[in-house]
This record gives sequence, structure tokens and C-alpha cells, in this order.
Amino acid sequence: MYQAPSRRKSRKDISKPNLTPILDAVFIFIFFLLMSANFIKLFEISSDVPLLSSQPPPRNQKPPLALTLKITEQGLRFYSGVPARHMKSFGQDDEGQYPFEEIREFLMEIKKKHPKENSIVFEPEIDLEYLKLVEIMDAVRMLNDIDEAIYYRDKDDMDVRAKDLFGNIIFGNIQS
Amino acid sequence: MGAKKSIRFRGKRRKKEVSALDITSLLDILVILLVFLLKSYNATGIIINVPEGITLPMSESKTINNDGVMVQVSSTTIWVDDEKVLETEDGFDLKDPTQFDLARHQGSLIVPLYAELMKKRDTVKKIQTLSPEAKAFSGIANLVIDQALRYSFIKRVMYTCAEAGFRQYKFVVMGQEEY
Repeated sequence: MYQAPSRRKSRKDISKPNLTPILDAVFIFIFFLLMSANFIKLFEISSDVPLLSSQPPPRNQKPPLALTLKITEQGLRFYSGVPARHMKSFGQDDEGQYPFEEIREFLMEIKKKHPKENSIVFEPEIDLEYLKLVEIMDAVRMLNDIDEAIYYRDKDDMDVRAKDLFGNIIFGNIQS
Repeated sequence: MGAKKSIRFRGKRRKKEVSALDITSLLDILVILLVFLLKSYNATGIIINVPEGITLPMSESKTINNDGVMVQVSSTTIWVDDEKVLETEDGFDLKDPTQFDLARHQGSLIVPLYAELMKKRDTVKKIQTLSPEAKAFSGIANLVIDQALRYSFIKRVMYTCAEAGFRQYKFVVMGQEEY
């Protein structure tokens, strides 16, 4: 015989998970992260101390690029080779800004020809501000995500993508 | 006491309902806070103190800092690992023999900075000889330099670090905001 459905079913309590220990853990975690949080992002620009060698360069190697940047009153002057040969100069505009986009394009062309080269020698001849120096260092170091990919062959004959333009900056005139 | 346990009060107690607190919104906030803090967490464990008087330049660099001796330079003061080594009132005087070694090194060597860096280097090397498992001398100098300082002074700092046996400089810069 047909019976009406029991009402007892609706009385069943929905069991809720006990969140107290999870909340305790989350609070401790948040406290720990708040203590160790670093709200100002600090990074670094690496530079090696120039080393002098009295030994002659190996004969069978191809001539080094020896890319050098001289910062003068007239602007940024790029040199290469040994002895140094002038390549190109970039002056400042009316607001005292260097054409960093043009400089990057010029350096990209050099990088394509010498993808394994990573060093550039800085020789500031004027007493420029540190802020300006960092701007110039950024322009010669960084390869952006939208830049054309440059590959080179490593020792194992594998294609490796160049991560930066000329990331190893060496100050060549700290003794003067 | 006895009255409360009596049969008369039992019915009344049972009827009382404990009101459950709705913590959904609180949990939402906590999760957002957790994600934000995890994003800003620095896993390197290197603490860089930027003293008053130093404004770091902005840079596009994304290279994470390395462990090394901290050299902080403002327009009037030089610190090594947060310890003051040279302080002047009106800026550095390049002709002062107590500040700069004028007799040798073409006046490029900053004497108090050189002495402190040598002390740091010797301490690390001494520890290394006593305990072979100790961290080796890295030769890294983290340079925390005010953005307004001029290259003529910065290169003296670099030269002094090189003379003290530090083979790598790491210019500490401020990262740009990411959106």
C-alpha cells in the first residue's frame, strides 16, 4: 500500500566540517608571511672586477668582440676590437635623454652576429649620476620578452636562447 | 547547582540554539591575503637594509640578490653590514688623507672602508680555516648606493672593494612595479 514519505528524512542534520584547526594554521601562516614579507622589490645588477693578464691571447681563437662603451660629453660611443675601433655614437636629445630604443636595436644587431658574447666594458669619462648609469646599464643588459629570440649553439650542440644582451658589465676605468 | 541539574530545567536548556557564525567572507579575505603574501615572499633569506639617506635607483633587473658583504653609501656616510665606517657632515672630501689614501692609489682608496672590508674578509677566511664546512669567502660586495651619487665617487668605492679582494660587485636596485 502507498505510504506518504516520512518526514524524518528532512530532519537529518547536514554535517559541517570543523574548520577551526585549518583557520588556526592559516592564521599562523599569515603571521609568518607578514613578518617575512618584502614589500619593496630589490634586485641586483652584476659586475665583475676587471682582471689584467700579461699573457698574450691564444692564436687560434677568432678575434674577440671586446665591446666597449665610452660615456662622454658628446654621448654614448661604442667601440669594438683590439685595438678599439669606433662603431657608432648616440647623442642626448634636448631633454638630456639617450635614445635607448635605437641603442638596443644597434646592440641587437651585434648580438645576432656574436650570440655567445655577453660582456661589455664601461668607461664613463664624465661624472654622471648613478641613476643615469643604471639606466644605461639596463639598456645594454636587458632582452625583453617581445624582442626577437637569439639562439646559439652550446658545447653539446644544443640550441640555447640568449637570456640577455650584454649582461656582464665590467667597469674598465675604476683605477683612474 | 542542584536546581540547574533538576528535571524541571532540562527541557529549557535543550531548546537553546547555538547560533553558528558565518565565516565564509572571513575565509575569502584570508585566502586573498595568503595569495598576496605568498607572492611577495622572499625565499632567498637575504635581508638588505637600506639606511636613511639612500634612495635606490629603479631598474628593469629581475636578478635576485646574492649573499655577500653589504656596502651602503649615502652622500655623507658609508656603512659596511649596517655598521658605520665613515661619516662626514658636508659630504666626502677627496683631499682628506684620513678618508682617502692620497700617498698611493691616486687617492682612490677609501681608507676606513678598506680596513673594514679587510677585517670582514679575514674573519670569513679565519672561520673557513677553523671549520672546513663553513661557507667559503664569496668575494661579493653588494653595493647599496644612493641614486644621486656621482660616478667619480662610486668608482672609488668599487676600487676599494677590489683592493680588499672582492671580485664581484652587485649593484642593489629597486625593481619596477608589475601590473
